[in-house]
Amino acid sequence: MSEAPDHSHDDDVLAAEYAMHLLSPQDRRTFEARLKDDPGLRALVAAWQERLAPLADEVPPIAPPPAVKAALMDRLFKEEPAPAPGWWGRLALWRALALASMAAAVVLAALLFVQQSAPGQPVMVAEVAAADDSLRVLARYNAKDGVLQVSRVTGKAAAGRALELWLIVGQETPVSLGVLPAGKRGQLTVASNLRPLMSDAILAISDEPPGGSPTGAPTGAVLAVGQINSV
Amino acid sequence: MDTGIIEKMIANVGLGDRSAFSSLYDATSAKLFGVALRVLNDRADAEDVLQEVFVKIWHNADRYAANGLSPMTWLITIARNTAIDRLRARKAPSEGEEAVVSLPDPGPTPEAAAVAASERARLDGCLQELGDDQAGAVRGAYLDGETYQSLAELYDVPLNTMRTWLRRSLMKLKECLSR
Repeated sequence: MSEAPDHSHDDDVLAAEYAMHLLSPQDRRTFEARLKDDPGLRALVAAWQERLAPLADEVPPIAPPPAVKAALMDRLFKEEPAPAPGWWGRLALWRALALASMAAAVVLAALLFVQQSAPGQPVMVAEVAAADDSLRVLARYNAKDGVLQVSRVTGKAAAGRALELWLIVGQETPVSLGVLPAGKRGQLTVASNLRPLMSDAILAISDEPPGGSPTGAPTGAVLAVGQINSV
Repeated sequence: MDTGIIEKMIANVGLGDRSAFSSLYDATSAKLFGVALRVLNDRADAEDVLQEVFVKIWHNADRYAANGLSPMTWLITIARNTAIDRLRARKAPSEGEEAVVSLPDPGPTPEAAAVAASERARLDGCLQELGDDQAGAVRGAYLDGETYQSLAELYDVPLNTMRTWLRRSLMKLKECLSR
């Protein structure tokens, strides 16, 4: 570890004590005031924090109760624009429809994408459709490379709006997979942390401003929903 | 846990990405809860602290890149400091509380475990050089949030002796780790 030459041994000891949280409240405040304008001193503290952190390795991870995350999310995000009213109510209905159309989706999507399927690849498909067929998008996901091909069969985004694709696992908050391309066909790459979730999830499409939801959660109406199925 | 992935998540959280925040929580909350629980030895307090920790993470992630810390060090430092602040703020030290029940450890990825294991092995070696009591005092201060005062009582030495002892141990540790 290199350190600023203009800092004395005493400062290094103080930095260590600060990193260990051993200073008295008053000494801690005094030291923090110095830290503000002294990058060299901050570097000494950072070096100590880095040096000491492996001590925490012996602490076993313990899963906190799920209610903690729910409370945290409420605390941080509840006052901000929530998903459009009735989102979940509609979703329940859509879910049922999605399940009903499952078999048809498999056949359809398999047919549609069959020419692109190399044998032996783990492939999943979904038909993401509105009940009145005003919007229907077929999706084919290759688990091997995380590429999700989408093909818009009917419908399109409203003028000046975009269609955003969401991944929904159980009762979890929808996670964005990205805005659908303007053209009829295109592809999205699923983030690596989401890939393991694809096999047991629902895809949904919502109406959003250009560029997608500004909040990270769906803000417009849910237009279409479909279950992901293995082929 | 893969350092690169955590770093990317923190960067995205800094941009206000809520789904990245949710993923970061899922990836690191068990470790940080473990750290808080070790300091506080009280589930309700540790749950409160964990929330506070992630509120801090949400608000400070955009400045993470400037502090030069590796991602897990940054997260653990926040968790530990928040837990120790809570510990010190308690009116009376908690005693006779029920032992905390631990859930099985999901464990780090093999690569991360290998890196962590080598850092850990180096630290363990250096702690051993300090001697049992000295190493115990360093651990107690870091993991349990002990103060000079409480350590002096624990090891039955005068306060100033403990202060000198621990300072010297820390500087020895640094010297050993830089070899």
